[in-house]
Amino acid sequence: MPKLPFGSVLTSFPTITRPPGLFKSIKNTFEQTPQTVRQNATLTATITPPHKLPPASAYVHLPFCRKRCHYCDFPIIALGSSSAVDDDPRIVNYIQTLCREIKATPVESSANPPLETVFFGGGTPSLVPPKLVSLVLETLGSKFGLSSEAEISMEMDPGTFDRDQLREFLELGVNRVSLGVQAFQDDLLKACGRAHGVKEVYEAIDNLKACGVDNWSMDLISSLPHQTPEMWEESLRLTIQSEPTHVSVYDLQVEQGTKFGILYTPGEFPLPSEDLSAEFYRMASRMLGNAGYDHYEISSYCKSGYLCKHNYTYWKCEPFYGFGLGAASYVNGIRMSRPRKLKDFMHYVQSLENGVFNGEDGRFETSDLAMDAIMLALRTSRGLNLKTFGKAFGFTLVHSLCKVYQPYMESGHVVFLDDKGRSIEADEFSRLVSDDYKESDALAFLRLSDPDGFLLSNELISHAFSVIGS
Amino acid sequence: MGSVNRAARFKYSQISNLLFSGRSRGTISAEACFDSTSRRLISPCYHLGWSQNASFCSNSARHHGKDSSSIDLNQYPSDKIRNFSIIAHVDHGKSTLADRLLELTGTIKKGHGQPQYLDKLQVERERGITVKAQTATMFHTHNFLGSDTNFLLNLIDTPGHVDFSYEVSRSLAACQGALLVVDAAQGVQAQTVANFYLAFESNLTVIPVINKIDQPTADPDRVKEQLKSMFDLDPNDALLTSAKTGLGLEKVLPAVIERIPPPPGKCTSPLRMLLLDSYYDEYKGVICHVAVVDGSITKGDKISSAATGRSYEILDVGIMHPELTPTGILLTGQVGYIVTGMRSTKEARIGDTLHHSRSHVEPLPGFKAAKHMVFSGLYPADGSDFEALNHAIERLTCNDASVSVTKESSQALGMGFRCGFLGLLHMDVFHQRLEQEHEAHVISTVPTVPYIFEYSDGSKVIVQNPASLPSDPKHRLTACMEPTVIATIIMPSEYVGAVITLCSDRRGEQLEYSFIDSQRAFMKYRLPLREIVVDFYNELKSITSGYASFDYEEAEYQASDLVKLDILLNGQPVDAMATIVHRSKAPRVGRELVDKLKKFIDRQMFEITIQAAIGSKIIARETLSALRKNVLAKCYGGDVTRKRKLLEKQKEGKKRMKRVGSVDIPQEAFHELLKVG
Ligand SMILES: Nc1nc2c(ncn2[C@@H]2O[C@H](COP(=O)(O)OP(=O)(O)OP(=O)(O)O)[C@@H](O)[C@H]2O)c(=O)[nH]1
Ligand SMILES: [Mg+2]
Repeated sequence: MPKLPFGSVLTSFPTITRPPGLFKSIKNTFEQTPQTVRQNATLTATITPPHKLPPASAYVHLPFCRKRCHYCDFPIIALGSSSAVDDDPRIVNYIQTLCREIKATPVESSANPPLETVFFGGGTPSLVPPKLVSLVLETLGSKFGLSSEAEISMEMDPGTFDRDQLREFLELGVNRVSLGVQAFQDDLLKACGRAHGVKEVYEAIDNLKACGVDNWSMDLISSLPHQTPEMWEESLRLTIQSEPTHVSVYDLQVEQGTKFGILYTPGEFPLPSEDLSAEFYRMASRMLGNAGYDHYEISSYCKSGYLCKHNYTYWKCEPFYGFGLGAASYVNGIRMSRPRKLKDFMHYVQSLENGVFNGEDGRFETSDLAMDAIMLALRTSRGLNLKTFGKAFGFTLVHSLCKVYQPYMESGHVVFLDDKGRSIEADEFSRLVSDDYKESDALAFLRLSDPDGFLLSNELISHAFSVIGS
Repeated sequence: MGSVNRAARFKYSQISNLLFSGRSRGTISAEACFDSTSRRLISPCYHLGWSQNASFCSNSARHHGKDSSSIDLNQYPSDKIRNFSIIAHVDHGKSTLADRLLELTGTIKKGHGQPQYLDKLQVERERGITVKAQTATMFHTHNFLGSDTNFLLNLIDTPGHVDFSYEVSRSLAACQGALLVVDAAQGVQAQTVANFYLAFESNLTVIPVINKIDQPTADPDRVKEQLKSMFDLDPNDALLTSAKTGLGLEKVLPAVIERIPPPPGKCTSPLRMLLLDSYYDEYKGVICHVAVVDGSITKGDKISSAATGRSYEILDVGIMHPELTPTGILLTGQVGYIVTGMRSTKEARIGDTLHHSRSHVEPLPGFKAAKHMVFSGLYPADGSDFEALNHAIERLTCNDASVSVTKESSQALGMGFRCGFLGLLHMDVFHQRLEQEHEAHVISTVPTVPYIFEYSDGSKVIVQNPASLPSDPKHRLTACMEPTVIATIIMPSEYVGAVITLCSDRRGEQLEYSFIDSQRAFMKYRLPLREIVVDFYNELKSITSGYASFDYEEAEYQASDLVKLDILLNGQPVDAMATIVHRSKAPRVGRELVDKLKKFIDRQMFEITIQAAIGSKIIARETLSALRKNVLAKCYGGDVTRKRKLLEKQKEGKKRMKRVGSVDIPQEAFHELLKVG
């Protein structure tokens, strides 16, 4: 038998040799090497992107709820069930602070347009007495101006308002209602910790109709624990029968720190499997589509002409104010989230008034803008406008995006459109993105397909992120 | 959302994985695995025996006086020098005993510094093991032949783990005696046997030290019997100590001085100096540890290397006391360090003979080169930073020359290195040092052993990387050979049956089976190296509740029916996952690999088929269905930042994946495959 071949002393040494003195220079070279698209983007960002416009939208957070729902991780304040809300000092104080915040908000230019959209979100805004909501609207109006055409939306929960209250809200100018129905099965509503049942849902819908609210949204959640395809089908059917102008379908997110987060693991019983949950999404897309709703955003459907203008400012990457506990704003290119704890929020408002709060450090990266633009635009059925995007961030980046998405356009997850809105065929596409790619009219839009692309939007969007650099 | 979580998990699993063979101190009776080095030392020529060495050499060197040193080595001719190693099984207390001896001689202050003073590396401290042999010089006054005499004692603390027995061999070459430390409760263990024979075959005087006698379960008499029956050591010669309490320690140094012969070299002969070790110091450059066999050196001398012929000037010379202490000279029989203008530790060839440039000498026999038994690919974990890894490996190999490194590249992992290690623990320690001392992040491929493939045209290939083995060779394969080891296993007799079952499952052949006393069995097996590389020791520990100890030494190659096992993702082979296995093991290994991958690869936008194949024959297959849903339906109140962070995390996860065809493989998957036997 042969002996193990053993090398002599001379051959057993590592073969890479470099005198220690060279280490440094090699390190430097290395540090300089990575060339990312981002550097490229910084150089070519020339036109004024949408974030430089003055905001014409405001989000107002009204955090009060009777109790916390089991899936909810929003900043809310639970009032409990017994007290009458009318002059609850917690609400009164909060509204005062909120109005102070609005007043103390710096306004950049005097040529600010009046607000075109206001959105009262929560929490349960319908728990706030109309006279207090009125105070907020007045404050907004005198600070920024309020267009007579403004879309003023309010989230309302079944069981929290009667017709008189609703009429009062409408008189204040609220002209769009987002009704938090979530499901049409008492068992499911109970399992979610909702404060209402199906009976209250029907009452609320009747109230809306009786008061002549013609622009309203039905908000639903899919993939709830114990939800079956039959139940989901029923919820969708009953939704369609109620004839809202808008439907929002949220796929349940199990958030850490919520009751659901403690009890359940996504994809595992009693939550529906990943496959079933995907099927729920497809059912909604199919049924609502057949009923004449346009699936204009990943989780939003509307009858023609009724898309939510406020929410659309988000997808278009346009600026918006945010007021109240935990509210996010996007002003001057800076995204900021307010404190989620009431005490911290009070301090924040105080420092705002004292002029010591000067926003976050005021810097942002071009790559962040590019990522926002992609992430938000790809949520819509319109998709990403490649020309505007190219002008803002460089056509090299557009080319890289095309390259990254080529396999997914072939698999049907991604659609490229020409300037006439026609989808581009695979052969044509490979010709367009060949290496001697030039900016051309032929590639106008990039969007995710419905439902296949939408369903994998995170996956697809993160592919786009990977070409943007860090 | 799986991949978001996955991304976060990487880091931890990677770390824990690198540490998977780390041990907790004191819980097991043995640590062992994979060695590599030859047990046999090409015997140093200078053991001449005690009586021949009476001549004095005190005026053999001029003292330069430039060094601000109060130590005058001229007072220590060879008859006042004793060089000894401390050898033992893992954890029997070598480093602790060394602490006590350093304190006793005032070399370090009592209670100052950390325990196991000589274990300086972070890995050593974290794992509580010695990886690198360390030398320290001490001075001690002893009443010798009727008068108080000052002695220079040179102690070398050695690692106990089988992977590092090369360090023991090297250390013994600079010694005339060894303290063989045995835990009074555990008794003789596998590395006790191995290290005893290393010392015995180098003709060293062995002083048995039965340590840890403070333990309630200590049974020194039983250990004495074992020493007698196994090594023919006289029970009366054994010293009983507790390195913990200090009991019996006063007997150790007198025994060293009286029983171990002084170094035998000739002070009148031309300088011959054995290069024992080297490392790179940021400030001083290359530092060499040397043993002066014949003659002497003085700062400023011109010396040459017998191996390379290159010449150097001695810029600094001194002893480790225990830190570098300049003395200006080193005399016959002394062990110390030298600084020359060497640019790289690669010039410092372990085992080389250094001599005065003006004289010609017969080189010392040196040692056999460290043998690399386990090979694996090392790749940058984050794709791009090849240069950073290159740099880190280069720096680390300056201080661990026992790793072999060659560049290689993989389709799946990009540019990387093929590294040879002394064993799996060594590989693990190397990874950990890369991460801790050089901030490199690595993916390592499944470790393999060097196979030999012979073809009909007479050509012979040594395969260190399974991927490099052609799937359809030009010439007919005539023979495959695999390396084997001779393993020594010592265990309480009630576990014999289980151990025999394990060894035969690992294709072992029993060579010897006896009892070292009424309760302990001793077995020798020939085992294919491949079979012990992955998980053998863990398995052994678990079937013997941690009571077995294990050691091995290299043995011959044997003919074996070997096949290359490919892993294919969507039909495309992943080079970095190829392995070579015995044909009988292929179905099981293939199945395990496929199952592991299925578990660790995330569902992706397309269906993925995972296959294990021998040539064109598929032996295991799984499919991973396409991802169905990954959507954040809610983007509430314009909270864009939070959503973007989530997606960025997902992107980071992607970036850290390795791509084969259209399939993203998490780095975790590579780490998991290491554990498949
Ligand atoms: N009770 C007791 N414990 C001891 C004694 N000597 C050492 N130990 C302990 O045994 C453990 C191992 O000691 P080390 O000195 O690191 O052993 P080692 O032989 O150098 O180990 P390796 O270098 O890894 O082979 C440590 O926890 C010591 O504190 C002793 O005399 N009595
Ligand atoms: Mg030690």
